[in-house]
Amino acid sequence: MSYYFCIIGTKDNPLFEHEFGTSRSGGDGVSRFSQSDRSLNPFIIHSSLDIVEEVQWGPSSTSGSAPMYLKHIDKYAHNYISCWITGGNVKFLLLTRPSDAALPGAVGGGAGGVRGSLAGGRGGMLQGTYNPTSPATEEAVKNFFFDVYDAWVKTIMNPFYGLDDRVTSPVFRQRVATAAKKYL
Amino acid sequence: MTPLQDATTSKPPKYPDPEAPITLPKQRASLSDLPYRKSNPSLSTLFASTASLSGSRPGSGTATPTASAIPGSVFSPGSRQNGTQSPVGFVQGISDESRSLIQRAFVPHVAVLASESAEEILRAKGFEGGFLQLLRPFGEAVPGKVTIRDSVGVNRSWEDFGVRFVFPTDGLEVPSVTERNAEGSTGTANGQRDSGKPLSSTTRPSLRTGGDVQQIEEVVDRHLQYSEFQSPEMMDYLNHKNTNPQAENSSSPFYTLYLRRLLSGLPLSPHETFSHPTAYVVAISSRDKDAVDKLNQLYARTEIGDLRLPQWVGQQVMRYYVLIHEEEHADTARSHQLFETMKRFYGLNCHLLRLKSNRCIPSDDDSVPLPTCEWISAGEELAEIQKHETADDITDPTPYLFDSDVTAIRSFIRELVAQSLVPHMERMVHQWNEQVLARRRGLSGRFMSLSKRWTPFGGRNSSSPIPMSNSNYDSLQGFYGPDAPEATMRKLADYCFMLRDYKLAFSTYEILRTDFNNDKAWRHYAGASEMAAISTLMSTQPIYSKTQIENIDVWLEAASYSYTDRGRSATPFYALRTLALGVELLRLRGSSAADDAARWVSRILELNLVGPVGRALFTERAGACYAVRTGTGSMRLGSRRRKAALWSVMAAEQWVRLEKSLQAEKCLDNALQLYKITSETDDGESIKAPFEKMQSFIDELRQRILTSRLANRGFNEQEEQVEQQRLAVEEVSETLDKSPKAHRKSLLGAAAPPIDVGPLSPSLARTREREEEKKDDQFE
Repeated sequence: MSYYFCIIGTKDNPLFEHEFGTSRSGGDGVSRFSQSDRSLNPFIIHSSLDIVEEVQWGPSSTSGSAPMYLKHIDKYAHNYISCWITGGNVKFLLLTRPSDAALPGAVGGGAGGVRGSLAGGRGGMLQGTYNPTSPATEEAVKNFFFDVYDAWVKTIMNPFYGLDDRVTSPVFRQRVATAAKKYL
Repeated sequence: MTPLQDATTSKPPKYPDPEAPITLPKQRASLSDLPYRKSNPSLSTLFASTASLSGSRPGSGTATPTASAIPGSVFSPGSRQNGTQSPVGFVQGISDESRSLIQRAFVPHVAVLASESAEEILRAKGFEGGFLQLLRPFGEAVPGKVTIRDSVGVNRSWEDFGVRFVFPTDGLEVPSVTERNAEGSTGTANGQRDSGKPLSSTTRPSLRTGGDVQQIEEVVDRHLQYSEFQSPEMMDYLNHKNTNPQAENSSSPFYTLYLRRLLSGLPLSPHETFSHPTAYVVAISSRDKDAVDKLNQLYARTEIGDLRLPQWVGQQVMRYYVLIHEEEHADTARSHQLFETMKRFYGLNCHLLRLKSNRCIPSDDDSVPLPTCEWISAGEELAEIQKHETADDITDPTPYLFDSDVTAIRSFIRELVAQSLVPHMERMVHQWNEQVLARRRGLSGRFMSLSKRWTPFGGRNSSSPIPMSNSNYDSLQGFYGPDAPEATMRKLADYCFMLRDYKLAFSTYEILRTDFNNDKAWRHYAGASEMAAISTLMSTQPIYSKTQIENIDVWLEAASYSYTDRGRSATPFYALRTLALGVELLRLRGSSAADDAARWVSRILELNLVGPVGRALFTERAGACYAVRTGTGSMRLGSRRRKAALWSVMAAEQWVRLEKSLQAEKCLDNALQLYKITSETDDGESIKAPFEKMQSFIDELRQRILTSRLANRGFNEQEEQVEQQRLAVEEVSETLDKSPKAHRKSLLGAAAPPIDVGPLSPSLARTREREEEKKDDQFE
């Protein structure tokens, strides 16, 4: 599984980007995005802001309290997006892409695609074992977000940090990497 | 060709500037454009007339579609247009186009049979396809309003009612039968068109049978290719009046074409009766000796002879008898007498059609070209394109008609539809409604179905393939007998759907769904679910209740699942049809349903139901679905602007991969518009995309679009140098292009070798002209 983590500022601008792979079940913590995936990830993240905003401002599903952790909110093809929103309207977005082995027919198009369909293919239905709404996944992502939030608050307390500035602190990056290794 | 190279190097297009439309540097637009227009006019009308039918309903009568009456949305690449379009505009202007498309797609099929002498007369007039070829284009739009009375007794008039004229065995996938018939009586459809023009895909059993996704892709691809090689300036000049913003809200013409081909030539199948003939038109000519005998003989062919349809096609069809009278040769009195005899035998369903027997040529005073058919299957259109490509400029294969003939045919069709066919269908609906549906709906009917479900050995507990005694479904062969109540009800529902009485159609499909489910008739079940969803969505009243929305989801899901997965008979074509129609109709419902529509689009892509062209088209469509949804309030809460932009970018990327630069540019412009990075800030700097990586990806896309456009224009230095050398030794010969793009080049007329010196001799002047032509092609 590969992850792309992005912090979005109040003007839809990226403040921080980080890419990593899973460290669970023998993973080496290196992401497996292909070149084209890599260029598409920002688009996908950006597009899910539509949903984030809807959840953010829409009618509350939890009575009274406004949760920071919005859980799994969006999906594009085989990319799942989870969100955490801070009090300052900064969004943490985590894009999860299950490993390619679990994605049959990911290449799509071409003669192969047609043949697959003629065989009554239901390629899309075999999405591996990844389930973005399973409690374990949700919990892991939540813990990850929580640690990042902790580090984030400490980072932006820096008096020289202005609203919607990019975060370049290596310490912060290090902490995100540690959290990723620990939980994902 | 130094000027060419200079032009590109001295004026490099500015890629990163999002303002600049991606056009090649323009050198001159001069009179030398003119010869280019002439390149195979018949072919261009063929493409034009099909590709640009998107928003236009066919006029209900007199006007024959000609090349000049075409909204030029395809060929105006319209970076300007897109530039002025705001995403909000989508919502107000959702056109009803898809609904009317679907209405016109599901129409009664009328089988046409003609005697040998009748066919002979028409062949002499230049109609190789005989009587059927003559009628087909006119049946698509019945002139005037057609009034239909629905089951409740309310009359409604429709402008765009039509019928589909077919050969009795069209749509039947039994190769041997179809071929023999085509050669025998109507003569032509296969034999003649196939000769010498190998279809690039596998040869089909019948050209007029649709339902082949691969062929649809191919046709759309041909249209795309053609538009790609059209010089945009050229077309703007020709129909610049049409480049009004009106076309913007409608979908891409290629998408409409895709849908249209998807819905054309529905194959005959036991699980739906849309393509089963509702009537037979039997035609004889005044040359036939014994009229009544001949008519009976012809009709017998459909009942016991070679044109017999499979058992599951019900035989309760209307018959309509036509006497073709030749104006010049035949004796009027005798024809009238014959006609009287026919009337005596067959009642009112008779018509005397007066046609001139001479062949009409384009230069005649009142000549009218035979209109092109809108609803031809993909295979047939491919063959048609190939035919026009191989034909030279002078012999335009389109047959012409006299004006009086056109009037006669129109009035014949009007009479056939308004006075015979529609009342017949209404009567059948009424009859079945009373005899079958009411009984099934009543108490005893419910009890019957219950008892069927709960018999100890029957119904769902049984795993044996042997049909239960109380089930009408023949699970071995996979159909219901034509007299089974289920089959009749399906027919009733389909008739209602075709007569646009969606309420009764829906309630019938709903009953059928449960019945089919109990019988484990999966394909029938899928069909009923599909039509239940579509008929709900087709009705114009708004859907408020949540359960209904959820139901539609369930039906679509059930249909697509049963079509693709259940049993051995996977039919991806029907699944695609279900989902595509569902998407279109949901999109029409506006913002609340747009999300669902987009979800179903991504389902289409996930299931791999379409090929590369369809994939790009549907990706584009998903963007359009999201764009329909605008938010509320000043913050535009709940809008899907960014989603729409994402899908547009994806579509652009896929178009680039298919080397369709025009489409790619359109999508990209649209995306930029949605990302709001087309405008400039006050100090003249262009606004960048929010993410650096996004900006670089977009820039790269623009670069690739430009590259592919240059390549399409044949801008290839090495090739030109070789040509130049060849010219030095004065070998002006026709070079045979071996590349697969050969036919593209012939469209451009760019096979001529370039020279830089002026015409030295008259013999060279012609070459010079052609070279001019080429230069301009390359630069537009």
